[in-house]
Amino acid sequence: MIIGKILQLIEHIPAFPTVILKAGEMLKDDDYSVNALTDLIKFDQAIAANVLKMSNSAYLSPRHRIRTIRDAVIYLGQENLVKVVQMAGVSRFFAKTGRGYVSTAHELWEHSVAVALMSQILARKILKRDDETLYLAALLHDVGKMVMGEFVYDSFGIIMNMVARQSHSFLEAEEAVIGINHAALGGKIAERWNYPEEIKNALTYHHRPDLARDDDMITWLVYLADQICLLAGFTGGMDGLAHRGVSDVMKKFDFYEKDLELGMMQLVEDLQHARELVLII
Amino acid sequence: MSDIVIGIADLKFSNNRNDVLVTYALGSCIAVAIYDPAAKVGGLLHYMLPDSSLDAVKARATPGMFADTGIPLLFKSCYNMGADKRRIIVKVAGGASILDNTNYFRIGEKNIMALRQIFWRNKVFIDNEDTGENYNRTLRLDVADGKVVVKSSSGTKREL
Repeated sequence: MIIGKILQLIEHIPAFPTVILKAGEMLKDDDYSVNALTDLIKFDQAIAANVLKMSNSAYLSPRHRIRTIRDAVIYLGQENLVKVVQMAGVSRFFAKTGRGYVSTAHELWEHSVAVALMSQILARKILKRDDETLYLAALLHDVGKMVMGEFVYDSFGIIMNMVARQSHSFLEAEEAVIGINHAALGGKIAERWNYPEEIKNALTYHHRPDLARDDDMITWLVYLADQICLLAGFTGGMDGLAHRGVSDVMKKFDFYEKDLELGMMQLVEDLQHARELVLII
Repeated sequence: MSDIVIGIADLKFSNNRNDVLVTYALGSCIAVAIYDPAAKVGGLLHYMLPDSSLDAVKARATPGMFADTGIPLLFKSCYNMGADKRRIIVKVAGGASILDNTNYFRIGEKNIMALRQIFWRNKVFIDNEDTGENYNRTLRLDVADGKVVVKSSSGTKREL
């Protein structure tokens, strides 16, 4: 069975970069030490390199030119620094060549970045603040697709046929053909990484927030951010729009079409300023 | 032959018959392709939202974002290159929705409606279209002969 193979594979997925978790912990303390944090980030060379590449993007709008990790720690500020480190580390799971499931790994990464940026546009509007846990969940929401893409290459044509005939949503077709959908698989990966419940749930239910807890804001917001990106055309995969709408989301956030339209507009602007974030892959 | 890519909220036009104007990943957004076969002038717009009243400042900076600012600019730009309204052929693709479009996220439909209103007011006819449904599209307009091909996310190609 394919599903057995996939679940086995999860056991071999590389560990989640500890630097991200440690940096997150350190940055929770307003009094974090610049030296300790600089040393921590430098410890993971791949992350450090990405942090530098991303730091001077207009999206993060540093007031100073950032040349070293120490500069980044000093000038980016607590909130941006958490996001940059998360993105710098998470990108490695998207760095392989995508097969079948995603037209290219780069496209899936661009979609992930778009959903992460959109999640913050929504958070600012709805929660009146940025939210780092939401950001990480949004960035990782499709990580299951990377694993699926590697191993269900042959099934992919069958899935797309079912979707093209419009008899199944993409998720339903995945379940019928493979036995598990990419969202549930993402949840299992999060579990393997010992992730907090809220991120695990957001990955698992990002297409079906109605199955998550009613007060699970992270899942609902990842769902909404994802749908907006899919509609706007930042799709990152072949599934495109083959997802069933969960209309409660609008009432839940007291959201109107105008809010969606304003969000889409902001997203295009943010993405234009975030080219460096997209280009680290 | 070279591809000129039109990004989201953008428009481009050309009278170079070696050019192909192309736009990718249309979801709820709409591509408007216009072509004058006599002047051999083509233009392509990829707009995202129906109405510029949402943000007038944005509309001035990025007119291609909205139907009501992007479409007039597209036509004017092609007139400036010698296209004539009476000869212009109009083809449209996009405006898709997610499945079970349960009366929210109606941006695709609204985009289509906005376009029809603008064309109706200006007595412009759509010669062919591939709109609505639930899939992503890519549209290519060949400036040499005005041929428009729409490719859906499932891989099928259709000439408009």
